[in-house]
Amino acid sequence: MTPRERADRRRGLLLLAPTLAILGVVTVYPGAWVLWLSLQHRIPVFGVERFAGVSHYAFLAGDPRFWSAVWTTAVFTASSVTLELVLGVLVALALAGQRRGRHLAFSLLLLAWAMPAVVTAKLFEWLYHPAAGLLNFLLGARLNWLGDPGLALPAVVLADVWRTLPFVAVLAYARLLAIPAELVEAAQVDGAGRAATFRHVTLPLLRRILAIAALFRTLDALRAFDIMFVLTGGGPAGTTETLTVYAYRGLFQMLQLGFGSAVGVVVFALVMTVAWAYVRLLSAEESRA
Amino acid sequence: MRRAGLARDALVLVALTAYAAPFFWQLLTSFKPEADLLRLPPLLPARLTLAHYRVVLEQSLMPQALGNSLGVAAATTLLALGAGLPAAYAIARLPVPGRRALLLALVASTAFPQIATVSPLYLLLRALRLRDTWTALVLAHTSFALPLTVWLLAGFIREIPRALEESAAVDGASRAQALRSVLLPLLAPGLASAGLLAFLSSWNEFLFAYTFTASEASRTVPVALALFPGVFEVPWGDIAAASMLASLPPLLIVVALQRALVRGLLAGAVKE
Amino acid sequence: MGGLSPGGLALLLVSALLAGGCTELAPHAGPITLVLKHARILGPADPFPGLLREFEAAHPGVRVRSESLPWSSDEQHQFYVVNLEGQSPGFDVMMLDVIWVPEFARAGWLLDLTDRVRPQEFAAYFPSTVAAATWSGRVWAFPWNMNVGLLYYRRDLLAKHGFQPPVTWAALADQVRRIRAAEGDPTLEGYLWQGKQYEGMIVNVLEALWAHGTGLLGDDGTVFPEPERAAAALGFLRRLIATGVSPSWTTAADEELSRRAFGDGHAIFLRNWPYVLNLLEAPGSRVRGRVGLAPLPGGVGGVGAGSTGGSHLGIARGTAHPDLALALVRFLTGERAERAMAAGAALYPTRTALYHDPALVAGNPWLPRIHDLMLAGRPRPVTPSYLLLSTTLQPELSAVLVGLKSERRAIIDARRRLDYFLASNR
Repeated sequence: MTPRERADRRRGLLLLAPTLAILGVVTVYPGAWVLWLSLQHRIPVFGVERFAGVSHYAFLAGDPRFWSAVWTTAVFTASSVTLELVLGVLVALALAGQRRGRHLAFSLLLLAWAMPAVVTAKLFEWLYHPAAGLLNFLLGARLNWLGDPGLALPAVVLADVWRTLPFVAVLAYARLLAIPAELVEAAQVDGAGRAATFRHVTLPLLRRILAIAALFRTLDALRAFDIMFVLTGGGPAGTTETLTVYAYRGLFQMLQLGFGSAVGVVVFALVMTVAWAYVRLLSAEESRA
Repeated sequence: MRRAGLARDALVLVALTAYAAPFFWQLLTSFKPEADLLRLPPLLPARLTLAHYRVVLEQSLMPQALGNSLGVAAATTLLALGAGLPAAYAIARLPVPGRRALLLALVASTAFPQIATVSPLYLLLRALRLRDTWTALVLAHTSFALPLTVWLLAGFIREIPRALEESAAVDGASRAQALRSVLLPLLAPGLASAGLLAFLSSWNEFLFAYTFTASEASRTVPVALALFPGVFEVPWGDIAAASMLASLPPLLIVVALQRALVRGLLAGAVKE
Repeated sequence: MGGLSPGGLALLLVSALLAGGCTELAPHAGPITLVLKHARILGPADPFPGLLREFEAAHPGVRVRSESLPWSSDEQHQFYVVNLEGQSPGFDVMMLDVIWVPEFARAGWLLDLTDRVRPQEFAAYFPSTVAAATWSGRVWAFPWNMNVGLLYYRRDLLAKHGFQPPVTWAALADQVRRIRAAEGDPTLEGYLWQGKQYEGMIVNVLEALWAHGTGLLGDDGTVFPEPERAAAALGFLRRLIATGVSPSWTTAADEELSRRAFGDGHAIFLRNWPYVLNLLEAPGSRVRGRVGLAPLPGGVGGVGAGSTGGSHLGIARGTAHPDLALALVRFLTGERAERAMAAGAALYPTRTALYHDPALVAGNPWLPRIHDLMLAGRPRPVTPSYLLLSTTLQPELSAVLVGLKSERRAIIDARRRLDYFLASNR
């Protein structure tokens, strides 16, 4: 190693130091501490602090409410990510042919994505109002969207899809623009119809970006909190209680910091597992391609 | 052909307007007189009123919350850019040991679920007596804004040809001068994109803000909106007005700084 | 959730004015400022600012700053937890929902008042509110206002069809069926109550448990000490909805939703708190003069009783002025202040004598009747783990009411959870 290289190395570490120090305090330290917390009975308001071993995890294994939250999280994630991908691609296709008013189109689209999820929740709470909601008015129905255990989760999914579809659409749109027009034209010259062109030319080229979008969206959906917490609070009858909402209730309503942390660790493990699996899948595809 | 194209473009705009309808409906609601709120039809009220905005601005916590959110989001952005820019440069340009692991760790920490860190952070902030302060929120928000910023900036820096800096250095400029006069101007759009995303993520954040704040001293906009007080009746009109105020900065960013926003959004997903 | 507790609901007012009008801090050591945290107080006339000025006049050099809490009980609780835990709270006197007193006392947030209270001082209050202010043999707060679950009925409809207010639940269901059949009005509902997933539902379930001769916590702390009776009580509530005695939207109903439907003349019976009476009898109300009041029915193996609620005033342990804070609490829970609140706000006093005070009764002829109902009311379990109990039960019981879970299953699941958490709370 030349002295210059050594100096650069030192300089690099120096430049990294503030970031590493901050992340050490706000991410790494809490990340390690939460594991330790999850092994404790910890109720700060009553000064309770004693070792619990794995008893929180053992309790969770036989806890119907936990498994119901796992199921709700899975259904929420699968349905909202799927819908976002499908609708996002449709929007991207529509935008790709747009010649005029593109700025306006993007403004209309991105607004939903850029505003706080709490605002989204308030917007939809009002749309879902049983008596004065726009949705029931347009449907000519009197559905109790947020109070009916069969409708509440779909209602939450709809709000989430509305909010995050622009993300998928913008990514897919950028990729579409990068597809050479000749490719599509060539396929059409070969007699392929629109649908066939989309299936055999466009979609394969979109594949990678959609996989990335799906990864980001899945990771977000697994830890989603704001929408259901504000819109339904996990009700009715716990039908929209995801793992994150369940963990939050344990932490700050029941004030069981140890138990709530154990649920948080489960979310953490889930997110990391999914991230890892996706990365494996993507790199396997890359090496095949 | 041209005609058909125009019609098609218009159709897409109409469809997107329909998509954004929940926002416009709330906008309309925020101007509806109290008496018309729970009546539907008619879709359009006979007259509009500013009463809800007056209530929100004069009688609710919203003005303080807007101030808190602006302060916290601005401080978070500055901290993330200030600490993130040198780190991004080091990752992009210098032979840092364990670079790949570092990058992976950065990506992993953007995916870190907040619900897992909220309880230790709560205990930490409690021990430091920082609850219900801006500092608490800025620290908490930096946990996701900083890795995001480093990640984005490292990508933007790598796009700038190294030769540009080197040629400046050859011309006799010191390395620091070269960075300032060559790299920084080229990086400006990237800094804007990263800053915008950091700002938005802090502005929109709810879980930490809900947990670490208690009073007007630090309550941010999403929390104030989620807890918007009613007396007996849900004040739908006031909530609509408060929602509009809460989405004002995002709205401005989407309309006025769209290019930088989209650049950042794409960079986050497509790089590496 | 975010439900209004009886205590939260009872308190009314536009206190933004109050909070806004006098928020500037004394920059140097001048007059002493006492900070009072309380929920909004509503009512036809708000006597609160006047009372505070009166206290200031009697204590020269003392200013009282009144700050309002968030509206819902859950959010008030969260506010206190964040502010009281491990730091100086920034307020001296606080309004407490009765169900929080043991929790806050155990957490060490309240000043122990045992040695400062004169033995005779609490004799003037309803015994149940005194019990709620006491935990572990010590006194932690002063009772401020009082609440109890009541049965409202449409006097005109019952009279028209020749009925007396029902004493048993079976009679109520029967009256609902007959009156609705005879009236032939599809918009007329039967019995309205609160079945949404929140604290208010727990209160309704408790009342059903009592009517079935059982309770939520046994003497030894067992949850659902008699599971068979508890299952019968839950099944009874579920059947109210399933058989149409109560509308299907009961599972989304809170105090206000049910109050409004009844107030619009769309129901025969309503379970609610006393504050509702003022609204039902207000000028312009569609049911004005057509409402009756009765105790909640019983007779399914138990005596009907309404759950009591309300709020107390406690003193933050970290206060710099314990004596002045106590003086303020005494003043606000004293005869004069409670009388003013009873006359001006829709708050019911904790002092029993006021219910027979001629001047007050002239303004509200229902007072003696409400007094008897309050005296017969029963408190919710007095335990530091009340909130844990309630939040754990809410989704389980809500699942029963909407028909997603059997009563037995919900009871087994709830017991398992509570056994675990109560053990770790110890």
